[in-house]
Amino acid sequence: MIEVERLSKRFGPVTALDDLSFTVRPGRVTGFLGPNGAGKTTTMRIILGLAAPTSGRALVGGRRYDGLIRPLREVGSLLDATALHAGRTARAHLWSIAQANGISKQRVTEVLGLTGLESVARRRVGGFSLGMKQRLGIAAALLGDPPVLMFDEPVNGLDPEGIGWIRGFFRELAADGRTVLVSSHLMSEMAQTADHLVIIGRGRLLANVPTQELIESSARRDVLVRSPRAAELAELIAQRGGTVARQDDGALVVTGLDAAAIGDLAAADGIAVHALVPRQASLEDAYLDLTRESTDYRGGTR
Amino acid sequence: MSSPTLAIRALDLLGSEWTKVRSVRSTFWSLLVAVVTPIAVSAVVAFAFTNAPGRGPRPDPLLPGVISLEYAVIAVSVLGVLAFSAEYSTGLIQVTFTAAPRRRAVLAAKAVVLAGLTLAVGEAVAFASFGLDQAILASHGQGVSLGHPGVPGAVLSAGLLLCVCALLGLALGAIIRHTAGGIAATIAVILVPGIAALLPSPWDGRIGRFTLLEAAQQVSALHPAADLFSPGWSLLVLLAWPAASLAAAALLITRRDA
Repeated sequence: MIEVERLSKRFGPVTALDDLSFTVRPGRVTGFLGPNGAGKTTTMRIILGLAAPTSGRALVGGRRYDGLIRPLREVGSLLDATALHAGRTARAHLWSIAQANGISKQRVTEVLGLTGLESVARRRVGGFSLGMKQRLGIAAALLGDPPVLMFDEPVNGLDPEGIGWIRGFFRELAADGRTVLVSSHLMSEMAQTADHLVIIGRGRLLANVPTQELIESSARRDVLVRSPRAAELAELIAQRGGTVARQDDGALVVTGLDAAAIGDLAAADGIAVHALVPRQASLEDAYLDLTRESTDYRGGTR
Repeated sequence: MSSPTLAIRALDLLGSEWTKVRSVRSTFWSLLVAVVTPIAVSAVVAFAFTNAPGRGPRPDPLLPGVISLEYAVIAVSVLGVLAFSAEYSTGLIQVTFTAAPRRRAVLAAKAVVLAGLTLAVGEAVAFASFGLDQAILASHGQGVSLGHPGVPGAVLSAGLLLCVCALLGLALGAIIRHTAGGIAATIAVILVPGIAALLPSPWDGRIGRFTLLEAAQQVSALHPAADLFSPGWSLLVLLAWPAASLAAAALLITRRDA
């Protein structure tokens, strides 16, 4: 469990986090979403004790990170997969991290296997592709077999096969009862990976909802109808149980009846229809609606 | 899970830092330069001494060893700076501090590993240079033996110089967090105070006795200079440079975001 309590972080005049609170629960994948610059990485850095908050606190398993004795056995994390010494081999990199937490050489071999890196274990990481570096970073996060895992934009640089692998991997970790927090700036990515979503913008909490709930609330379907006899048609639709809203330009937005039913209704009364457009709001639209204000603000005050 | 003792945690951190030092090539190359250069230079200096004209007082027979070690200073300083600056510039420092959130313990572990390595190399070079130099000087009747009073202590002290400079580099690397800046600062701290030697007497000695390189020459001379601190005090001056900079690094390392 990760608890973020009223976290604020200011860098000089810039407010990166503004009274941010949320809890990440075990047994599910929690997506941490927000536009670039929303404060996702800063939040994770504070959780890991790498940056100090201006106010508020973050707890992992009920304790501050810098109070953990063997932190990698409690929290595994990947912030930046390219943060490597190019001249070191993959195995030496993992071994140096493992040693600091009293983790065995055998476990290093295990995580190399779990992430499919056995064959390149003795190669210098300078020659690794971004995808291989992501796998190496995930291997490092798994070293301590921790109950809490955090990944910052882990999908960047992975090919489609790697993305499929990583999604399955996160689900397995959550199914084991672990707490899994995965950040991304792409809703489409998180919709397929996360069970729960924490969405932030401009350092503030915008939504903290189950993914399914956001999908259902955003999956409103409606039908756009244009007709020279819109008023008459609206009445007919209302009689059949549809709900009609009228746009400024005279078009009708109908919910509760599908396009076929509206077309039949119009035809039966000989009403001409100029447009009959079934519309569906995507999850991406819901996300953009949520974050638009915060994104616009950042662009406008540059 | 029972909590590991402090000693076990310290050994774990030392093991981790030792693995890091051992697994990059820059360590090998820096130390190779730090071994080969001073031994070669000291032989050249010793030959120069044997060819010096006979008038005036004879130069200190241990001077070639100290002077030549100064040629290894840059190599080990770079090694020290890189221990932190390489991690800051790659972002690896985040991995290090998430694995070991007690940052001063990381600083201490890096310092111990680096000190051990550079002390071993420094002493090996000091004694190798001594053997070579005295063989060359002896062929002209100028050498001293290791059994000569004051010689073992002076040679041992000369071997400290590399360790001192490496630790100074480590501390400045942790403070400045950039490789180029850290190297420039370390070299400046070691060399710039040398302009004290240009001051009019007696100020050259009064100020110069506080400089790192004058202190290093004083502790490793057979005949210490009269206008500087005694070898005992000079040893303190020599050790105070890395001690003070490491203290500053320890203060800053927990105050800044990684």
